Amino acid sequence: MTKAQSAHVRTVVSVLIIAVVAVWSLAPLVWIGLTSIKPLGTEYRMPVEYWPANPTLDNYRTVLGERFRIQRSVLNSIVVSSGSVIGTLSLSTLSAYAIARLRFRYRTHTLYSMQIAGMIPPIVVIAPTFVLMRSLGLIRTYWAMIIPNMVYAVPLSSFLIASYFANVPFELEDAAKIDGAGTLRTIFAVVLPIAAPGMFSAGVLAFLGSWGEFMLANTVSIGAASVETVPVAVMSLSRAFELQWSWVAAGTVVTLVPIIVAVLVFQRTIVSGLTAGSLK
Amino acid sequence: MVADRLETRVGVALVAPAVIGLLVLNYYPIIQSTLYSLFALDSTTDWLSAQFVGLRNYADVMQSDQFWYTFGFTVGFTVVVVTLDLSLGMLLALATFYVPKRMRGVLRAIIIVPWAIPKVIQASMWRWMLNSDVGPIGDLLVRIGIVSEPPLFLVDRFLAMASVVVAYTWKGSSIAAFFLMGGLALIPREVIESATVDGARAVRRFFSIVLPIVMPTVYVALLYRSQDALRVFDVIYGLTGGGPGTTTDTLSSFAYTAYFRYAQFGRASTYAVVTFVLVAAVGVFYIGRVRRNFSFKE
Repeated sequence: MTKAQSAHVRTVVSVLIIAVVAVWSLAPLVWIGLTSIKPLGTEYRMPVEYWPANPTLDNYRTVLGERFRIQRSVLNSIVVSSGSVIGTLSLSTLSAYAIARLRFRYRTHTLYSMQIAGMIPPIVVIAPTFVLMRSLGLIRTYWAMIIPNMVYAVPLSSFLIASYFANVPFELEDAAKIDGAGTLRTIFAVVLPIAAPGMFSAGVLAFLGSWGEFMLANTVSIGAASVETVPVAVMSLSRAFELQWSWVAAGTVVTLVPIIVAVLVFQRTIVSGLTAGSLK
Repeated sequence: MVADRLETRVGVALVAPAVIGLLVLNYYPIIQSTLYSLFALDSTTDWLSAQFVGLRNYADVMQSDQFWYTFGFTVGFTVVVVTLDLSLGMLLALATFYVPKRMRGVLRAIIIVPWAIPKVIQASMWRWMLNSDVGPIGDLLVRIGIVSEPPLFLVDRFLAMASVVVAYTWKGSSIAAFFLMGGLALIPREVIESATVDGARAVRRFFSIVLPIVMPTVYVALLYRSQDALRVFDVIYGLTGGGPGTTTDTLSSFAYTAYFRYAQFGRASTYAVVTFVLVAAVGVFYIGRVRRNFSFKE
């Protein structure tokens, strides 16, 4: 086989591979997409209708309309996730600086306590967290999701940001101090800019983490649509309208589009953050 | 190394907010759950006025068939999905190295899509895919001629188990793929290419050359994915709700139902604590492996 031939074979095989992977990864999404444009009632028509005979956007009108306002869940998720990210970054930038650049007595204890916290199963904290949020009067509010989510992301974020802080040469910091900059100014002007990509990466991962979080959001929102995040809202929709899957499908599409776009845009950041934060 | 007094003071001050957060929302709840599990709690969370029963909840639970079934299912589920996640993930990761450069971006984008989707929504989408009347999977199986009637995926116990495995792996393999890509990226590209082109020799090259080099990454990914599988909740809750009956319930989903549907805080907490112990057992190995990064020196 000549070189040109083998390159040709490789192109053909590659296209096949991509086709197979696309079917596996995208089939459920395509199916939801197709269902969402079937007129209500026809999604249960047998035999199975692969391409809708009379495609319609009515289902979207319904789920975006007064009765469901599914877009509200997207806004709720944005509020909860953004709030969590701000909190997470504040907490973990401080701790990451200490972990990466200071030698202090409880440093190792802190590291262990973070690693352990990072793997605690949600089920073992959910009931007491619910009780705590209830006694603080935060049930059915954003805070009951923001506060725990912001803490849950701290271990991964701290490690991620610390690995960037660790790359700032100590000489650079010393030089700034010799030039007369105070400790705080040194941190803001010299150290933080170098850690900025790490903070960004940690922020994106924390955002996605709380976007997808279901157990806590479901438990503390208890049916209050005004604070339901995306996963909870889609779940309630699919439970309540088992026989109106065209609606459920349209609702699912509306809530998934923003996050899929975001993940594709931030692909690189996410992947580098994932590998740096948990592997190395 | 002698820790400087001032440095200790500053260090503690900087980590304090994060550590206090972890203490209040991670560590205190674990202790509280463990306390719940030692009391007779029915329809109340007021453990201080409930009767202390010591380990009786554990004794009761350990004597029930339900617990051992759920325990076995959770562990079995973990073994199966982690094996599938890593094998499929490895194939996906290798594929990104095999395809020519101009197609790589497309392939990676396709692989990352499942990763974006909240787990419980993923479960709900699969529930629709596996619908026994109008789901495309059952219909295609009938058309190909494998079965004469669409299988009752979520009604039959074994098919329901297979369904949660598939739905979980759909996202799990994409996460594993990105982990393994990170490991593979450390190997010279030519070495991987030689193990993905030309047939039988490629397979041998993969096992004799590539796999030994990425083994450390595979090991960490294995531990990481096992922890996730042992505490699985969303996919079960959204796809089968633990059914038929409680045959696809995991420790987490069983505990959640016991907590929030039946308000059996004592019993639910024993399941939750057992989940924690299982995850922690894997976690010991995980921390042992990642501990070497604690110095943050490259």
